[in-house]
Amino acid sequence: MTDRTFDPATFEVVKNSLSKIAEEMKIVLAKTAYSPILKVAGDYSCGVFDVAGNMVAQGPDLPIHLGSMPDAVRAVVQVFHDDVADGDVFIHNDPYFGGSHLPDVNVVMPAFFQGELLGYTCVRAHWPDVGSATPGSYGAVTDIYGEGLRLPPVRLYRDHVIDRNIQAIIMANVRTPEERIGDLRAQVAANRRACQRLAALAEKHTAAGLKAIMAEVMDYAERMMRLMLADLPDGEASFEDFCDGDGILEDGETEDAIFWVRMTITKKGDTITVDFAGSDPKVAGPINAPLSVTASGVFTALKMVVDPNSLIPANSGTWRPITVTAPKGSVVNAEFPSPVVYANHEMSHRVCDMTFGALSQFMPNNVMACSQGTSAVVTFGGQDPRNGNRYVSYETIKGGTGARPGKDGINTIAAGISNTMNTPIEVLEMSFPLRVDYYAITAGSGGEGRWRGGCGAERAWTVLDHTSRATVCFERTRSAPFGICGGEAGAAAKIKLRLPDGRERALTSKGAFDAPAGSQVIIEAPGGGGYGASAERDPAARVRDAADGYVG
Amino acid sequence: MTWRIGVDIGGTFTDVAMIEEASGRIGIAKTPTTPDDFGRGVLNGLNEALAKYGLPAADVTLLSHATTVVTNALLENKGARIALVTTSGFRDVLELRRSARADLYDLFQDPPAVLVPRHRRLEVTERIGADGSVVVPLATTELAGLIDQLRAMEVESVAVSFLFSFQNSAHEKAVGEAIRAGLPGVSVFLSSEVLPEIREFERTSTTAVCAYVGPILDSYLRRLQAAANSLGLPDLMVMGSAGGVLDVPAALAMPAAAVESGPAAGVIAAQMIGKQMGQPNLLSFDMGGTTAKASLIDNGRVETTAEYEVGSSASQSRWLHGTGHPIRVPVIDLAEVSAGGGSIAWIDPAGALRVGPHSAGATPGPVCYGQGGTEPTITDVNMVLGYLDATSLLGGDLPIDYVAAEASIRTKVAEPLGQSVEQAASGIRAIVNNSMAEALRMVSVERGHDPREFSMVAFGGAGPLHACALAEELDVPEVIVPPIPGAFSALGLVGADIRRDYARTIYAPLEALTPEHLTAIWDDMAAEGRDMLAAANVPPERQVLLRQADLRYGRQAYELTVDAPEGPISVTTLQSLADGFHTAHERTYGHKNEAEPVHIVTLRLSAVGKLGQPHFAEATGDGNSQKAERPAWFASTGRVPTPVHDRARLAVGQVLQGPAIVESLDSTLVLQPGWQARVDDAGFLRLTRSQ
Repeated sequence: MTDRTFDPATFEVVKNSLSKIAEEMKIVLAKTAYSPILKVAGDYSCGVFDVAGNMVAQGPDLPIHLGSMPDAVRAVVQVFHDDVADGDVFIHNDPYFGGSHLPDVNVVMPAFFQGELLGYTCVRAHWPDVGSATPGSYGAVTDIYGEGLRLPPVRLYRDHVIDRNIQAIIMANVRTPEERIGDLRAQVAANRRACQRLAALAEKHTAAGLKAIMAEVMDYAERMMRLMLADLPDGEASFEDFCDGDGILEDGETEDAIFWVRMTITKKGDTITVDFAGSDPKVAGPINAPLSVTASGVFTALKMVVDPNSLIPANSGTWRPITVTAPKGSVVNAEFPSPVVYANHEMSHRVCDMTFGALSQFMPNNVMACSQGTSAVVTFGGQDPRNGNRYVSYETIKGGTGARPGKDGINTIAAGISNTMNTPIEVLEMSFPLRVDYYAITAGSGGEGRWRGGCGAERAWTVLDHTSRATVCFERTRSAPFGICGGEAGAAAKIKLRLPDGRERALTSKGAFDAPAGSQVIIEAPGGGGYGASAERDPAARVRDAADGYVG
Repeated sequence: MTWRIGVDIGGTFTDVAMIEEASGRIGIAKTPTTPDDFGRGVLNGLNEALAKYGLPAADVTLLSHATTVVTNALLENKGARIALVTTSGFRDVLELRRSARADLYDLFQDPPAVLVPRHRRLEVTERIGADGSVVVPLATTELAGLIDQLRAMEVESVAVSFLFSFQNSAHEKAVGEAIRAGLPGVSVFLSSEVLPEIREFERTSTTAVCAYVGPILDSYLRRLQAAANSLGLPDLMVMGSAGGVLDVPAALAMPAAAVESGPAAGVIAAQMIGKQMGQPNLLSFDMGGTTAKASLIDNGRVETTAEYEVGSSASQSRWLHGTGHPIRVPVIDLAEVSAGGGSIAWIDPAGALRVGPHSAGATPGPVCYGQGGTEPTITDVNMVLGYLDATSLLGGDLPIDYVAAEASIRTKVAEPLGQSVEQAASGIRAIVNNSMAEALRMVSVERGHDPREFSMVAFGGAGPLHACALAEELDVPEVIVPPIPGAFSALGLVGADIRRDYARTIYAPLEALTPEHLTAIWDDMAAEGRDMLAAANVPPERQVLLRQADLRYGRQAYELTVDAPEGPISVTTLQSLADGFHTAHERTYGHKNEAEPVHIVTLRLSAVGKLGQPHFAEATGDGNSQKAERPAWFASTGRVPTPVHDRARLAVGQVLQGPAIVESLDSTLVLQPGWQARVDDAGFLRLTRSQ
C-alpha cells in the first residue's frame, strides 16, 4: 500500500512539474524536427505516463490525441512489460494495436531512476509519409495493408543505441527518408529530455513518492471532473449526422455514397455515457475509426463543455466518469483490416461536433454550433524540378468555428480536435514547386444566426513546372456544418481542380489525383454553424459584418 | 560633477535612478505613475530628482527612458488608425494568422485582436516569386485609386507588406514612394524596411505594429523631449527591447523595437553589475507585483530572441502562439510567469491548493494593504511568515493590516486544508517558488546551461524575498542583491549602450554562399549602422559592429544564432559559423549531425555605440545596522526571533548570518537559515550558503 497522503503544496508542485515536462518535450520536438508538418504545423502530442501506460500529463497539444495516447503506451507495456531497460526506445504506429492511423508514429521511452521504472514518456508525431502507393500516405485504399508501413511495437534502441536493422526497414519504406531520420531523432531527443526530468523529480521526492503522486494526479482529475459534471444539468439526447463518403466509388455508384453516424448521450449526476448504436457499419474506404479515436472526439467536446477554463489537467483520470461505446465493426469502432487513415481527424472532428449538437438539447448554454468539421488536408508530392529532389507537402486548411451562446464563431482558426498551424506561404514556396495564388477569408461562409458562425478560408495553389500527385481529405463538402438552437448551417467545403486550359473539374472529398503543370487546386474550407435564430441578430453586428465583407 | 539619469515607468511608480559618473554614487526618486499621460509622471519624477539632489540640469550628460507607451497602446487597443496594403489575394494575412487557437478548451475564447479592420485592408496587383523574380508586375495604374482610398479612410499611418519583399523590395518601395508622395503627413512602414525576413505573417505583423504605435510614440517622445529640453536636460534616449538605447529618430524608425523596454533594462542592469564584479555568468530574476521574469547572461552576453508576441493578455508560457501580435525584432530573452506579490492562493473544488493565475494586482492589492483585497496573496503570505514589516511598508507610507492578512490565509487556505497558518503560508510560497523556478529553468537548464555555474541577481520589489528559496531549488551557489532592488531596472538605463539591430534573410545552404556575398550583405548593414551611430553623435572609436548569423540544419524550421568571427569574411569564417552551429545545437538539444548541410537563414548586424559603463557604489553605513527583531517562520526552524537590519547602515565587509531580514526603502531581503550575506566593496549584498 502506497502512502497517498501528500502535503498539498508538494502535490501541486509535482503536478505542475509533470505538465511542464510534457510542455518542454514539445519545445524540443518543434525546434529540432525536419518536416514542416511537425516543425511548422505542430501535428504531434507529448505525454508522461505511469508504469501501466495511463496518461499522467499531456502537453498543450492536439486534443485529437486525448483519448488514444494511453493506448500507445499500453501497447508497449503489453508487449515488453517484463523486458524494459534504461536506454530502450520503442516505436509503433499500428491503429489496431495502440496507434491512431499509420502516419502517427509513436516513440515511447521508459524513465528510470536508480534502476527503478518510473513510467514512460511518449511522443506521437505525424510523419508526412509512411509509404503506400500515394505520397503522403493519404490514398483512398480499401484495407490497412494499402495504407503504408505498419509497425507493431518494436524496440528501436537498446542501451541508448539505435537498432540499425529496424531503422533500415523503416527508412526503406518511407519517402524522403533523410527527413524521417531527422524527425525520429527529434522524437527521441524530446523523450530523453522528459525522462531526465522525471529522474530529477524522483531524486527529490523518491521513486515511490513520485509514482504515488502520479497516481494521485489522475485521481484528482477524476474528482474534479465528477464535481464539475455534477453541476451541469442531467438529460438524454440523440443526434445523427451523415458523412460525405469514404473516397471509394463502389460498383454502380456515380458519386461517393454517404453514411450515417448516430449517438445517444446520457448525462446523469457525475457521469456521462455516449453510445453510438445505430451508426452505419464499416465502409470500404479509410474512414473507419478505432474506438479510441472516436473517444478522443467525444472527450474534446466534453472537456470544452465541462471545463472551459482548463482547471482540470488532461490525463487518464479525467475520462473515468465517461463511457464511450460503439458497435464493433461500425464506422466508429473499426475492425481489422479496415483502412483508417482519414478517420483519425475526420471522424473525431465529426463526433466532437455531434457531441455539441446532442448536448445543445439540454445544456444550450455550454455548447457551440458545428465548426468546420474537417481537417481539410491537401497534400502534394513528386519531384521538385528545381533540384530533382522528391518532396511531400502536407497542409491543413482552416475553416470557421461554430457560434457560441453570446459570441460569434471565430474565423479561420483550428477548431475542436485540431490545433495545427498553417505553413507560411513563403516557406511553402521556398520548399516546394508550388505557388499560392490567394489565401483569404471566404465572405458569407459563416452560418447565419443570432450569433454568426466563423468564416472559413479559401486558398488556391498553382503547380509549377511538373506534374504533382496530390490528395485531398475533406468532410463537410455535402454535410454542411450544422447550426444549433435555431442557427443556420455554415457553408460547405468546396474542392476543384482548374486545368491549364481553364477547364474545371470538381473533386470528390477524398482521394488522390494528378495535378499537371500550371493547374490550380482550389479549395474553400467550411464555415461554422450559427447559434440562435437569425432574426435575433444585433442589427449593429450586421452593419459591421457588411462593412468588413464577412457576409456575402 | 556630471550625472546620468534613467526613468522607468512601472505599474504603480515611475522610478528615476541617477548615477554620479565619477563616484558611482546612486540616487533615486519615485513618483506615482500617471496612466492618463505617462509623460507627466516622468516630468514629475525628473523635477523631484533634480530638486532632491540639488542638481543643475546642465550637469546631466545622459537622459534615458524606458517607455510603456508601445505596450500599452497594444494592450488597450489604443493605437493609430492604420491601413494595410498587401499583394492581391492576401489582404487577410493578419487575421488568418498561423491558424492555431491560443486555448485548446476554452469554448468562449476571443480571437486575437487584429490591428487593421477588414475594410482597411487593401490589395495591389503584383507578385514576387520565391526566387525574387517578378511573377506579376506591379500594376502602377492602381496606385492613384489606392491613394484615394487611403485618403478617404483618413488613416494616420499605413503598413505595406508584399509577399517575398525580403527577396525583392522593388514593388514595396514603389508603392511606399507613391503613398508618401500622395499623402504627406501619413507615416508609411514597408515590411522590407522594417523586417526583411521570411514568413509573411510575422513580417506583416511586425510592420503593422510599427504603423499602429508609430504615431503615438512619435507624439509622446517629441513632447517629452521638448519638455526635457526646456528643463535644460539633454536629448532623450529610449531603451529598446534588445537591451540598447536608441535616439528618438532611430526609435521612431522602428517603433516595435521599443516594446518590453523596462524588463530589458533590468537585465542590462544585471549584466552591468556582473561586469563590475567580474561575474560573467548570471541569472537575472525580477519579481514584481504580477509577474516574475528570468533571463540568462552567458559569459557577459545577454541572450535575445526574435520570437515574441506583444500585447498578449493571456498568461505567458513558452508555447504561446495566437495570443498577441508577433514581432520579429530581437527582444531580450525573458521567461515570464504570472507569479508576483499579488498572485492569489485558492482551494479548488477538489480541495487542491492552487496559486494564481489570478492576481490582486495594484487594485485592490493584497489583503494586508487594506484597500479592499479579500483573497490571500503572496505578499500576505510573506507578511504572516514575518518576512515583511507588519506595521508599514515603503518607509511608513503604506500602513499594513496584519490581522486581515492572517485571517484570510487562515479561513481561505489553512482551515480548509487542516493546517496551521504557517504551514499553509509556506505551502503557498513553495508553489509560487516552483513556478518561478520553472522560469529560471527555462532560460538555463532547458538551453543546456548548468545553474550551478551562475550567480543569481535578484531584484524587483519582491525578488529578494524569494531569492534564497529559488537558489536552493536550482542549486545556484550565490545570490547578489544589488542596490535599489525595487528600482533596479531604472539603473540599467544609465549604463546601456546605443544599439540598433539589422537583419537580412538569405535562406541558402552555407556551402552555396561565397565570402564575397556575405561580405556585401554585412557591409551594407554596417554602412546603415554607422550612419545611425554617426547621427547619434557616437565617435568612430566608440562604434562597435557585431555580426551574427541564424543557422539551422537544412530541413529544420527554427534557427540558432551564432556569432561570426571578427575580421574579413573568408572560407574559414564560413566553416567557423558551421562549427559554432553544431556546438550550439548539441548544447541546446543534446545532439548534432555534422554530416548534415547547414543553412543560413538570416544575417544579423548590431550597431553598438559604447557610452561607457559607470561604476556603481551603494552608499554604506557604520555597521550599526540592526534596527529591530521580529519572529519569522522558516520550515527548518519554526518561528524564531529574527534580526531586522537597515540596509543603508550596513558596512562594507559586514557579514550577516541567516536567519535575518534586511530592509530598504522599497524591498525586503529574506536571508534564510543556512545562508549568509556579505556586503562587498561596492555595497552589493552577496549571499552564499553558510559553511
